[in-house]
Amino acid sequence: MRTGLMGGIAALGTLAVVACGSSSSPTSSSSSGGSTPTPAAVQTGNPTSAVTLSESGSTLLLPFLQELVAPLTAQYSNITLAPSGGGSGKGISDAIAGNSLLGGSDAYLSPGQFSQNPTLANIPIAISAQGVWFNLPGVTSLKLTGDVIAKIYEGSITKWNDPAIAALNSGVTLPATTIMPLVRQGSSGDTFLFTSFLSATNSAWANGPGPGTSVTWPHVATEGSASSNPGMVAACKPGCIAYIGVSATSAAQTAGLSEAMLQNKAGNYVTPTPSTIGAAVTAGAASIPSNLALSLIYQDGAQSYPIVNFEYVVVNTTQSSTDNALAIRTFLTWAMDPNGGSQSQYLSKDNFVALQGSVPASVLSAINAKIASIT
Amino acid sequence: MSTMSARAGDVTAGRARRRASSTELSRWDKVLRAVSAIAGIVPTGLLVFIAVIMVVAALPSILFNGFSFFTGSVFNFGNLYATTTVTHNGVTALPHAAYGVWPLIVGTLATSLIALVLAVPISVGGALMLSEVIPRRIADPLSVFLELLAGIPSVVFGLWGVAVFGPFIAAHVYPALSAIGHVIPFFKAPVGVGQGLLTASLVLTVMIIPIVASTTLVLLKRVPILAKEGALALGMTRYETARVVTIPYIRTGIVAASLLGWARALGETIAVLLIIGDIYSVPGNIFGNSSTIAAWIASTLDGALQDFTGMGVHALAELGLLLLAISLLTNLAGRLVVRRVAGGVLPVGRGV
Amino acid sequence: MSRRRRSHVRAAIFWGLCGVALFLIIAPALDIIISILANALPVLKPSLLTETTQGTQLGLQNAIVGTIVLSICVLIVAGTIGVLAGLYLAEFAPPRVASTARFFSEVLAGVPSIVVGYVGYTALVVGLHWHYSLLAGVLALSALILPYIVKTTELAFSSVPRALREGAIALGLSRGRMIRKVLIPPALPGIVSGLVLALAISTGETAPLLFTANFSDKLPSGLFNPVGYLTYVTYTDIQLPGKATQAVAYAAAGVTMLFVLLLILVGRRITARSRRLVARMDV
Repeated sequence: MRTGLMGGIAALGTLAVVACGSSSSPTSSSSSGGSTPTPAAVQTGNPTSAVTLSESGSTLLLPFLQELVAPLTAQYSNITLAPSGGGSGKGISDAIAGNSLLGGSDAYLSPGQFSQNPTLANIPIAISAQGVWFNLPGVTSLKLTGDVIAKIYEGSITKWNDPAIAALNSGVTLPATTIMPLVRQGSSGDTFLFTSFLSATNSAWANGPGPGTSVTWPHVATEGSASSNPGMVAACKPGCIAYIGVSATSAAQTAGLSEAMLQNKAGNYVTPTPSTIGAAVTAGAASIPSNLALSLIYQDGAQSYPIVNFEYVVVNTTQSSTDNALAIRTFLTWAMDPNGGSQSQYLSKDNFVALQGSVPASVLSAINAKIASIT
Repeated sequence: MSTMSARAGDVTAGRARRRASSTELSRWDKVLRAVSAIAGIVPTGLLVFIAVIMVVAALPSILFNGFSFFTGSVFNFGNLYATTTVTHNGVTALPHAAYGVWPLIVGTLATSLIALVLAVPISVGGALMLSEVIPRRIADPLSVFLELLAGIPSVVFGLWGVAVFGPFIAAHVYPALSAIGHVIPFFKAPVGVGQGLLTASLVLTVMIIPIVASTTLVLLKRVPILAKEGALALGMTRYETARVVTIPYIRTGIVAASLLGWARALGETIAVLLIIGDIYSVPGNIFGNSSTIAAWIASTLDGALQDFTGMGVHALAELGLLLLAISLLTNLAGRLVVRRVAGGVLPVGRGV
Repeated sequence: MSRRRRSHVRAAIFWGLCGVALFLIIAPALDIIISILANALPVLKPSLLTETTQGTQLGLQNAIVGTIVLSICVLIVAGTIGVLAGLYLAEFAPPRVASTARFFSEVLAGVPSIVVGYVGYTALVVGLHWHYSLLAGVLALSALILPYIVKTTELAFSSVPRALREGAIALGLSRGRMIRKVLIPPALPGIVSGLVLALAISTGETAPLLFTANFSDKLPSGLFNPVGYLTYVTYTDIQLPGKATQAVAYAAAGVTMLFVLLLILVGRRITARSRRLVARMDV
């Protein structure tokens, strides 16, 4: 009965902290610490019965979620997070169909998906990025532009010592190895980010395959594929080039791959670091549409890294049980909290960047308002 | 004597209690017959159910794509992030959507045909060796071994293919094989790192050999020993006996066994998905990456669900319907061959 | 060369080729079993049974229990329907009905497993709103192995010697009593071994379960919840690099393989035992 009462109270617009839930667990709804103003308060707390938050989707987001399982249950004993992979496309379709409570996705929903599913929302919980890696024995550093990469994936550049690549990398001896471009099988948020970047930098790509979670890859004889970020690392044999999310960076380094420096909109060559990622967010996330679908690809800024994205949790704002709704709101709020899930010990392992401190308060309010609408 | 009359009394007394005889059915028998009749209809019902679901799910795609479904080479859901849709023949899809599955048809038929062409001679030859030449003491455990192999899960074959067999054969056998490329261009380099059409076909071969071989062994045991001994008595070598007596005797059985292997190869999903490279194109050479119908459906279903018009899912249903049609048609055709020559009963074996 | 010599040379070439064929059959098979077990045995620790696949754990408890639960449920569903159907075909069905039903059952055996999975997804997971569930997976697997159980059961019943039936009729037994007392005992080994073999097939399946049961990191929690199973672990973990996950993939493959081989050997043992029994019946 108490849960029913709690679920009935809408806490939009109030700044008061509402204590709720069982007495054994502390509750908090607004972020504490830092100089950011308190955003809109959201009803959170430990549900009265055990809730399992089933999640599927992005393999870029998965390692981060796996780290959050234990601390989440330590904080809220009745909430258990159960993440799995399968690619962003699976996450979105599972969330739509109700097969999972949460869908992890690097890609925001499409206009068609929004209109077909009016109660669906995509809620950012962290910021991540994507690197372009290559395996070329003897070469450890390489500068590449989106235009050149697009041409590689289109098949017009086939060898590593192609003049177009050499022109960007004077002083580096490039071998005559055949390039083996790797793509992601199935429906992948990483593919969406990568092809968005290619579309922004190469007009033939924009008019051809275009951006998407799955695209028709131009036929390249030496093309290979993998079904997850770690799979891309494993499949990257000498000569390959692959797009790999930052949560697999350490695996890529251990496997002996090298990260390329990408040219951003300002013309500078950068790799994904917290500062270059932060610069892209500052440039791109000054405001956010009400459905929270925002691209951070190829933003202005001297230091901006070109392939940056929000990590989205796709969820149905109309839940069948108030306990589920409470658990979801609690998890999302806690995950964004710098004292909760967004502590540096969890983020840095996957090279993610926290939302708080990177986006302005207005964006945070919009996100919190969306979370509060989950009932 | 008293016991005998007592027993006779029992029987008549029992008969007086009016139990049904074997020719009429008591109430329980009628129940049993009804219940088992319902169970007997289930396989047929399932088959009809599957066919109906596939046709209904595929219908929008059939309307949208028409015949170009089978001839086109591009599988594109269209612009997933579009705000408009296109309509054709009364069904909607995303802009730039195009569904042509010719590469998958080629991949499916190529891998299955290569596997069948390689597996049948090897299976028959090996089975002949086991039954005619190798002494029973060794041959019997080996035939048990063969039956066990037929039970190894597909995913284990896939694991072996991608982790052990593929890299090995790409490093040691393919480079030599690509020398044929001078004569047949389809065999030219590059040989890849172990994935691809040929590797998938070879693993499929290894998968269907146990089925064909153990079925052939069963058939070989049924060859009348008198006929074989008669041939040997006439002075024929064991080879001539095999060629003239044994093989013709089991000919239709080999066709039946090959059908089982073919069905398994056509429908194999997981092992192929792990090995063939999952690239949507007719490969440039035999070592290149490709895909098959079954593997593509498994890997693309999630992507198809992103298409909010639903056309992606319908296209995959049409693809599944195509595979179902190919499987059923080849199954029926093979049965006709078997039934035409000898009223053969197909031995029990594995499908996929 | 004399004709005899030529024929001997041809024979030698032929048997040489057959020997090569036999080698090509045995060698890869041995390689598979040895390489899988070699990679799996070092990883077969007790912790496999106590930990699950969740998060960073490297256990198989949920997958093993899930596979067993799936097998038992499939045995109940497909076993009941299959044995009854086989009984119907052998004992009750008029000849025309029997041959038609038999034909369709064998055609069902030729349906690719991915199509069965797709139908299960469309009809059960989405159509009936079951979402990813154990029950959907069980029904999909049952559809796949039903034809085998029907065939082996029918074969078992029709292999019972005619003399036994005729004796029962002569004694005036009712149909049901004849089936129960006279037909089932000799047919039982054949039925059971057929069930065991079908179970072995279903244990090795992955494709039909991918879109019906999906996967779960936890122990089976109800008919309408997803469930974990061993083949999925092998399928996903083999694509993830890293010694730990690869080891888990091999361990799952090894356990699956051993489980299947055990089932097949048990089935063969039952068949062999029954053959000896029937031979001794001397009718």
